[in-house]
Amino acid sequence: MQQPEGTRLDRQAERLSAKLAESQTRKSFLGRLGAAALAIAGGSAVAAAVKPDEADAFHLCGHIWTTGSCPSPYPPLARIDRKGFPLHPSSGRPIDNLGRIVDSAGYALDGNGKRLRGPDGAVLAPGPRTRVCEDWTREVKGLRDLRIQGSWYRCCGGQIRKLTDCCSFSRRRINGDASLVGYCWGGRRVYCVMYYDTGLPC
Amino acid sequence: MLETFTPAVCGSRKRQIAGQSLFAVSAVVTSAALGLLLGLAGSMLGAEQAVLGAAALALVAAAREAGLIRFSIPQARRQVPEHWRFELPLPVWASGYGAGLGAGFFTYQPISTFWVACAGALALAQPVPAALCVSLYGAGRALMVVWPRRRSDDPTAAVERLTSRRGTLLRANVVALVACGVLLAVAPAAGAGVTRIAQNAYDPTVDRGTIAFATAGGNVIVRPVGGGEITYPGATGPSLSGPYLAYRDSAGIRVVRWADGTEVRRIASPYVSKPALDWPRLAFVRRASPYDRLYVRNLTSSKVTLYATVRLPTDLGRPSLRHGRLAWHTATRRESKITVVTLASGARRTMARTRIGLLGNPSVYRTKVVWVDARFGVTFLKQGWLTSSRRVVLARIKSRTVSYWTTSVASNAAYMTRWVMPTAHTDVYRRTP
Repeated sequence: MQQPEGTRLDRQAERLSAKLAESQTRKSFLGRLGAAALAIAGGSAVAAAVKPDEADAFHLCGHIWTTGSCPSPYPPLARIDRKGFPLHPSSGRPIDNLGRIVDSAGYALDGNGKRLRGPDGAVLAPGPRTRVCEDWTREVKGLRDLRIQGSWYRCCGGQIRKLTDCCSFSRRRINGDASLVGYCWGGRRVYCVMYYDTGLPC
Repeated sequence: MLETFTPAVCGSRKRQIAGQSLFAVSAVVTSAALGLLLGLAGSMLGAEQAVLGAAALALVAAAREAGLIRFSIPQARRQVPEHWRFELPLPVWASGYGAGLGAGFFTYQPISTFWVACAGALALAQPVPAALCVSLYGAGRALMVVWPRRRSDDPTAAVERLTSRRGTLLRANVVALVACGVLLAVAPAAGAGVTRIAQNAYDPTVDRGTIAFATAGGNVIVRPVGGGEITYPGATGPSLSGPYLAYRDSAGIRVVRWADGTEVRRIASPYVSKPALDWPRLAFVRRASPYDRLYVRNLTSSKVTLYATVRLPTDLGRPSLRHGRLAWHTATRRESKITVVTLASGARRTMARTRIGLLGNPSVYRTKVVWVDARFGVTFLKQGWLTSSRRVVLARIKSRTVSYWTTSVASNAAYMTRWVMPTAHTDVYRRTP
């Protein structure tokens, strides 16, 4: 009997993610593989296979290494969406560069969820909302070669957290000392870190 | 001078005291007047530019007094005219001596500290505080006439004791000069005065001392230099230029003589807003969805020139037009920037650009440009110059809910709207150097 499409996909995802979970080396390609597995399977199979514990943290949950967070509206909680744009650290809602919660069109919202108005009563135009790694870190630190590359996963607050490296050719990291290769590749090293809460239970 | 103010020279002990008092008063008043003039000159020049010069001068003077470098200082190597006390009555010559020494320029200057004090007074750019500060120089001159006599009948002994400590005094002077240099260097940020000038008000505009602003009640208020208030009901977005005021009302943009309300020009359209007047030029934004366009119209020739077009919802902010220069901001979801155009040449310059903040509401005055730079948790009022890449922070607010909004700039002060977002409360503040 032919299996339902969803079940077969789940099994493939389970195999892929089990392989990810068994391999504990910090090889960059595994980070990419993990991201691919999450993107493809996107469900309980990955969560079950990874079986992580609550991760200890240096400055944010899930980050057990010492590299600092990237500059963001709510430092040091550089929470991003899957495209690298900033999110509110606690609510997970999109925020603009001033840390204001915004709607899907980019308009800043007030405490009642209505579009924020200026002193003259007119609705404020959308403000800039730019990527934490490629735009924020580039402007604040003056680095032009920043890319999101490697990532890894930890369990935080009952859900899988994807921790992402913002990578640069710089031999210094945001802390000011020597940078590590981490999950970066192609000659880049970890400059700073961000995180993306997947919403998948763990 | 010590030998001058003796009972023998003055005629009696009482006349000696009178002479010393007149000398002291004259020295203090003259040095205060000097400070007043320097402060006034500083306010006209622009204090921000003078402060760093004064700091540099203090450090150079410290190096000179420490013997690290050598150069001559400007001075008149003369003493007070001795014949005055033989030819003139005591009140005149005592006061004249006090004025001559209190002014500082007409006598021997063994050290360069006097010139640093003058530069500091210039940098203060406020006549009264500068007068108070420089008056201490006159007080010092007076003290040196009175103090050596406080114990001994022979004042020269006290002077000799002071002379024997010359090395210590010179070292103390070096330390004081270095401290002055450091303090002056940080003065632009630390010493700024920010005062509220209008409550429940926003959109300030200033020209030649007259200030106007919009109120939360929907009016525009003009405060002339001479005092009083003129209210224009149902108006927003004021812009002053000499005797003229432009504002927006329900029918469009109106230009009036603010003293009597006589209408001079009108642009009748519900789609025009954000007037900026530099008579006879008027800048404004016209909305023709999905675009906002920034125009400048010559109100005498009716010539209209387009300077910017943005596609909504890109923010094309309140422009500023002054001395033939037009400044405005644009903010997209990718970046925000401040642009200044020189109307005569058409030359454009991007004063500031950022991808991570929100730059807005610039004002221009000659080569100065002031704008608001809002970042995560902090808002700056910044000033730059078209002639250099230098930027200074005039004021800042560390808050996520309080910010600066619109600005205006004059020769020696910047004005800004302070906006409390949760309550929508706004006040207009003035920032003086």
